[in-house]
Amino acid sequence: MEVTTRRFRQNTEDACRNGNLRAVLDHATRYFQSKRAAALAVFDGREEHFARARAARLTALSRLPELLEQLEQNASAAGVRVHWATDAAEARALISGIARENGVRVVVKGKSMITEEIGLNEALQSAGAEVWETDLGEFIVQLAGEAPSHIIAPAIHKSRAEVAELFQEKLGLTGQSIPELTLLARQALREKFLAADMGVTGVNMAVAETGSVILVENEGNIRMSTTCPPLHVAVMSLEKVVATLEDAADVLRALPRSATGQRMSSYVSVLTGPRKAGEADGAKQMHLVILDNGRSKVLADPALAEALLCFRCGACVNACPVYQTVGGHAYGWIYSGPIGAVLNSLLLPPDDTRDTPYGCTLCGACAQACPLGIDHPKMLLALRQQLRTGSGFGALHTLLARHPLAYRAAAGTACAVDPDLNLLARLPGLPGVKGFARSRRLPSLKTPFSARFRALQTSRRKGDA
Amino acid sequence: MPPGPLSPLASRAGWAYAPCMPETMRAHLFIPCLVEDCQPEIGEAVVSVLEHLGLRPELPRGQSCCGQLAYKTGDLDGARALALRYLEVFHAPGPVVCPSGSCVKMVRTYPTLFAPGTPEHARALGLAGRTFEFCQFVAGELGRVDLGAQLATRACYHGSCQVDRALGITQAPRDLLRAVRGLTLVEAARPDRCCGFGGVFSLQFTGVSQALVEDKTEEILATGADMLVSAEPSCLMNIGGHLARRGSALPTLHVAQVLALGLGKGSGAWR
Repeated sequence: MEVTTRRFRQNTEDACRNGNLRAVLDHATRYFQSKRAAALAVFDGREEHFARARAARLTALSRLPELLEQLEQNASAAGVRVHWATDAAEARALISGIARENGVRVVVKGKSMITEEIGLNEALQSAGAEVWETDLGEFIVQLAGEAPSHIIAPAIHKSRAEVAELFQEKLGLTGQSIPELTLLARQALREKFLAADMGVTGVNMAVAETGSVILVENEGNIRMSTTCPPLHVAVMSLEKVVATLEDAADVLRALPRSATGQRMSSYVSVLTGPRKAGEADGAKQMHLVILDNGRSKVLADPALAEALLCFRCGACVNACPVYQTVGGHAYGWIYSGPIGAVLNSLLLPPDDTRDTPYGCTLCGACAQACPLGIDHPKMLLALRQQLRTGSGFGALHTLLARHPLAYRAAAGTACAVDPDLNLLARLPGLPGVKGFARSRRLPSLKTPFSARFRALQTSRRKGDA
Repeated sequence: MPPGPLSPLASRAGWAYAPCMPETMRAHLFIPCLVEDCQPEIGEAVVSVLEHLGLRPELPRGQSCCGQLAYKTGDLDGARALALRYLEVFHAPGPVVCPSGSCVKMVRTYPTLFAPGTPEHARALGLAGRTFEFCQFVAGELGRVDLGAQLATRACYHGSCQVDRALGITQAPRDLLRAVRGLTLVEAARPDRCCGFGGVFSLQFTGVSQALVEDKTEEILATGADMLVSAEPSCLMNIGGHLARRGSALPTLHVAQVLALGLGKGSGAWR
């Protein structure tokens, strides 16, 4: 997909003018938040459970090299072919190579952000394969030629009516209600599952002690992608490993509740190797691609390593007032919302994401929502420090504040010349002030508090004397 | 009026006034930039309320910005320089009271700006521990919730992100307001949602900022309140500015102003 993070600010301005988008986002994010709140309200001991999930993720990060080696050993022993990829290009080449070697013509995919991150679909298509997204939301955005706009709900930005129109146009199928539309998608996708030579999925967790891959979903399409075709390729970024099945269970208690407000998602698949002799189903050949793509560099940065704790529940995204207003596409790459602003900044070149850490009011709703205790605002501040872009207004204010006499002189002059800041709002080179003033009356400058306070003290002393 | 119960404060070791309590305890005022030049009435109300409680407010000279603008735009050196100034200006013992959650949050962040073990770090820790948001100081530290104020009004309280979430001060302002006789406390539909200010955010992402302040204002007006109350001057400026732009006459007041009004010390009355 085209990366438009450089246009992030303009993207948000455009999105704000899209009334339909705002209405759809408002509805969807409120829905997710209320489901989650209801699930947490009846989750006994949730703080303790969340702490255990965090501990499991922390263990994974603190023992990452060792656990990845253990994962490789145990997965290999179970018959999985394990591959390592340092970056997106390597991963694309690897997976395209597997497809070519096996003469793959049709690929079905489970929803996975990591394959979006590496742009796998285009690579497989170039290798001559037909690629079908089988998650309903992903299927919708694929038909529309778009990218997902939410980490767990890819088509969150589309209304039912838009989906109906899309199905009519692209598939020639007519449906109106949600059950009707879902059935149409299911019928279209069944054929693809049966025709597929290869299934590609992401990985929610990989268990080092058993070599298992865990996949969490609600539609059953991921299970079908891993069992219908003879060949299954699972792609994981390296932080997805956990040490033990026990740790995986701790993570699983937190993930669906935080993501969709479910106690458990409809399907949880634990795949340990391909089909073995005597087994009725499962892929005949299973590959696991372990991808770095910049993560080991992130892990080495103490201010930002926390980003790798994330298990992609999307709670921060739904809670974010900026996301609620502009949606995922405005962020300019596949990740969006608070964790997306952090990940996009970390995984893309710094020059492409100079505005990204600034698209946040630092309100902290994300950190409050995060079941793993990730402090997104703190990381966005760390990213701002690394960029050192600052703001002209901030720098001027700081300079003056360091010299209070100059500050008082400047404020006094402004108060005398332009108390209602009318001139300030018209100054060229201050587009931000103009934008701010478009929807708000600027504050007026008044006789400063300090002058009033000293005057009061003086008058009281005179009164005493 | 004698000072209220001082137990939480007086029990804190190292504070000079405990053994030889003067008849009135002094409280240092830390006045945010926005209050100093644009909302001086908030500072006046703070003075009125503290004096009502028997304290002696003092305004140390040479104070300026807490540094959060620098800090939040990635300028650590600028923030550190302003933190050092703060440590200097407020070196004298005794509590520092500030009518802004975000500025207090910045002061509480000072220790992270200095290496542990340095004298600056130790002083920053000390000042972070004795710098209080106004409501927290009155209700929490002084333990004074019912100040005897009366005001017949329906007040919509906006718990700002910095007061509610960053500082975790959720009860003190609401308790203070509920104790005002005649005052009915209401909150907007999504009380903890950001008003869209966010400092430089409102200058850089003007569309989103505007959309958020519009949402917030709609939800506040829907409560049918007579006034908007907050403990954060920047939210008041943001929401108040938008109210003015859309022609609403809804007054926007700091909690301190509501208390001062309720005590018959309407801002400006004592000047």
